[in-house]
Amino acid sequence: MAIDAGSPAIRARQIGVEEGLRVVELFIGPQHPASGHMRLVVYLDGDVVVKVDPDIGWVHRTMEKLAETREYVKTIPIFERMTIIDSCNITLALVQAYEALLGVEPPPRARYLRTILCELNRIASHLYGLGIGGIFLNHSTMYMWAFGDREVFLTLAEMLTGARLTHTYVVPGGVRRDLPQGFTDAFAKAKRYMLRRLKEYDKIFLRNPVVRSRLEGVGVLERAKAKSLGVVGPNLRASGVRYDARMLGYAAYGELEFEPVVGEYGDSLERIWVRLKEIETSLDLIEQALRQLPEGPVMAERYLKMLPPALRKLVESTGRVKLPAAYVNLRPPPGEALSRAEAGRGEIVYYVVSDGTDKPYRVRVVSPSFRNAVLFMVLPVGHRFMDLPAIYASLDYFPPEADR
Amino acid sequence: MSAVGEAERRRAPNPVRAHLEAIAAALSRALKPPMTLMYPDVVEELPEGYRGVIAYRYERCVGCGLCARICPARAIKMYKVPGDKRMRPGYDMTRCIFCGFCVDVCPVNALEHTKIHDKAYYELDSMVLDPVEWAEFSRRLIEEQSARSRSPNLVRAVFDEEVGLRYERLRRS
Amino acid sequence: MIDAVPLLERVLTPAVLAPLLYPGLATALVTVLLVIWLERKIAARVQMRVGPYYVAPRVHGALQLVADGMRFFFQEVIVPLTAGRGFLLAPALALAFTAAAFAVIPGGPGVVGFKTDYSLLVALAALSLTPPLVLLMGWASNNKFAVLGSAREALLTASYEPLLFMSALAAAVMYGTLDLVAAVEAQARLGVVGLALNPLAALLFFVAMMAATDRIPFDIVMGEQEIVHGPYTEYSGVAYGVVMGLDYVKLYALSLLYANLFLGGWLPFNDPLAGSLVLYVKALAVMAAAVFLRGVYGRLRLDHALDALWSKLFPLAVVSILVSALIAYYLGG
Repeated sequence: MAIDAGSPAIRARQIGVEEGLRVVELFIGPQHPASGHMRLVVYLDGDVVVKVDPDIGWVHRTMEKLAETREYVKTIPIFERMTIIDSCNITLALVQAYEALLGVEPPPRARYLRTILCELNRIASHLYGLGIGGIFLNHSTMYMWAFGDREVFLTLAEMLTGARLTHTYVVPGGVRRDLPQGFTDAFAKAKRYMLRRLKEYDKIFLRNPVVRSRLEGVGVLERAKAKSLGVVGPNLRASGVRYDARMLGYAAYGELEFEPVVGEYGDSLERIWVRLKEIETSLDLIEQALRQLPEGPVMAERYLKMLPPALRKLVESTGRVKLPAAYVNLRPPPGEALSRAEAGRGEIVYYVVSDGTDKPYRVRVVSPSFRNAVLFMVLPVGHRFMDLPAIYASLDYFPPEADR
Repeated sequence: MSAVGEAERRRAPNPVRAHLEAIAAALSRALKPPMTLMYPDVVEELPEGYRGVIAYRYERCVGCGLCARICPARAIKMYKVPGDKRMRPGYDMTRCIFCGFCVDVCPVNALEHTKIHDKAYYELDSMVLDPVEWAEFSRRLIEEQSARSRSPNLVRAVFDEEVGLRYERLRRS
Repeated sequence: MIDAVPLLERVLTPAVLAPLLYPGLATALVTVLLVIWLERKIAARVQMRVGPYYVAPRVHGALQLVADGMRFFFQEVIVPLTAGRGFLLAPALALAFTAAAFAVIPGGPGVVGFKTDYSLLVALAALSLTPPLVLLMGWASNNKFAVLGSAREALLTASYEPLLFMSALAAAVMYGTLDLVAAVEAQARLGVVGLALNPLAALLFFVAMMAATDRIPFDIVMGEQEIVHGPYTEYSGVAYGVVMGLDYVKLYALSLLYANLFLGGWLPFNDPLAGSLVLYVKALAVMAAAVFLRGVYGRLRLDHALDALWSKLFPLAVVSILVSALIAYYLGG
């Protein structure tokens, strides 16, 4: 049968030529069951990946520019939507930058409460990543288990903040709610449950021969390469680099015993293992923070004393902070601040410039997923096509975070 | 005590044992009750301080406008109400993100969160409320909230070491 | 449907009846709905969920699949402009070939459409006609994902078919016959089921069956996370229903084969009604085991699956034939 190379039937199946290789060009995403809000342009030579071109930016929401048009306190909910599943970690560094500009110190209790919510968020975020990782390998049980168990920690966060995901809990000067009654008991149960579940995860996922064969030795990121690419977070630590922004000791981390989880091999299995291990660390950190939780107000005295006496009494009796009128137009003196924190997916950096008005002159954010996006170009090359989802699974990449 | 044993992680598990363990883990979970909240058949009792739809008390309001000024989503705007000297806040539920800044900033506690978060409307316009409508809507909301707390299908999330979350019925039907 | 068998047998000839009613297409349709519901319910239990519920809550959502099926029927069948010849023919033909297998698979004592001494061979041959049609689906779909899926189907078929035939051969050697009815009778004569006699062959047949019907962990052809839905990507409406159901119909056919070969068929009953029911329940149990594994495993990588099928399981299949030969020698001796 004669083949007409120009016919549409042939074009769709056509094999292209890329850098001298006969390859199939595949567009994975943005409408694909496993692309996320992004597109991966994959070039295949047979079953082997020759090149991957991650096309990001599909969920860019101009957050940095929006922030320039909003008063300081109003920018917090905007940046929170960068990584909605990790909202406390994502906004903490921003609020720290604002606090540095304003010259206000959060009281110790607020710092501990921030740590508690951040670690709850980290657990929930890692479970989210693990669940998505599971479904990338079509392991629906891991997916459902992780999402189900995430609910436990979302319920805890809801107890603390009143919202499941968009907590908007950390504000300049402190936090918005005090620890509710029964939280410590609820957390103790949740911790024991989660430790039990981690063993089950181990059996059904990490030690499951089918899953292991998909992850072990796949997408190996060497230590030196990880450093030179500027990778952050669990992906960096899985390659054996001992770096975690929590070691800076912001919030209450400086007063808690903390040792970052560091992997060795840098393969997909190691990255997922590091996350599972970090869930344990986070559970431990929350327990420590709850034990050492200092007494006192949860909001800086500077703002509390602006409140009328009746409201101050209300704050003390309900444990829910009321904001003074001056909070609407916070006016930091001109200056700039840089702040970083360890979010679920790695280190997040904010750079804020104030020109003395009630709106930031500039907010620049470098998000962990953005720094990890480069791995899509590096890791899958030379692997089988079916390893691509396995690598994506292990990176815990969150497109809205990278696109801002 | 670590759940993911370091040594076990390094050593590839015995495949036969690992297969059997995986199957056993799945089976043992299958014998335990699910953790599903049977929404909407049941009504979940939400925690104190839950940030739901915002209710407005007209009679308490002093019309200071702080809520409208702090709202990050521009969901609250000040309206002129006929027969009222002060401006009063109106509420656009299509925009509200339930951050609760307005509740926190209100100096006279005229705004409060209800525990209601699931509201549906046929028209977008009916979600934009002027101050009088908002006050009326809030009265209904608060009634609805107390009706929900009396519901025979009320359940409460209880933390459980076996199944994580258990939804306990508070009343026998 | 089972109740109607003795009555209808007098009306229609068995050769037509078996592929169409029991154990054939009509039963298969009900079974597919039942098995998919069972699959979703089992997976839900493992995953701490409730599963299908709101369509008929009294029967735990058993009518969910009827609702889904109706949706497929009323949905428009979209044929892409660029689709090639055979786009709609291939699923229909695949279903017909699968149905043909039911003509020779006994559904119970005396419930055989077409009596032949080579019924095992004919059934497997009919079932192995579907993979080429899946290739046709992928090619006709004219979509890169579909073509990749077809390539995977070709590779996988070439690897699981030998295993399927070898393990069936092991059973045949054991019973000294290629006829399924005779195989069940042999098990009755020996007083022990094939699973106990040659567990290796039974296990291998089960694995091959999983691979043949795209069950997890061998659901490489569909490979949702890589190739959307493989060869079936472009199908919609009732055509999608057919290609989706095809694997389940195959699963049902192979489970019947499995029950006949390794679980003693309709034993311990010899009455057509009770025997058919027992056989059906056994087949259902096999299907339940096959779909349960979706809650345990993820997807294997293509090259790992091929490697496992050829270099690990195929030698085992040869061993299982030797085991069967020994069994036949001692028992028949």
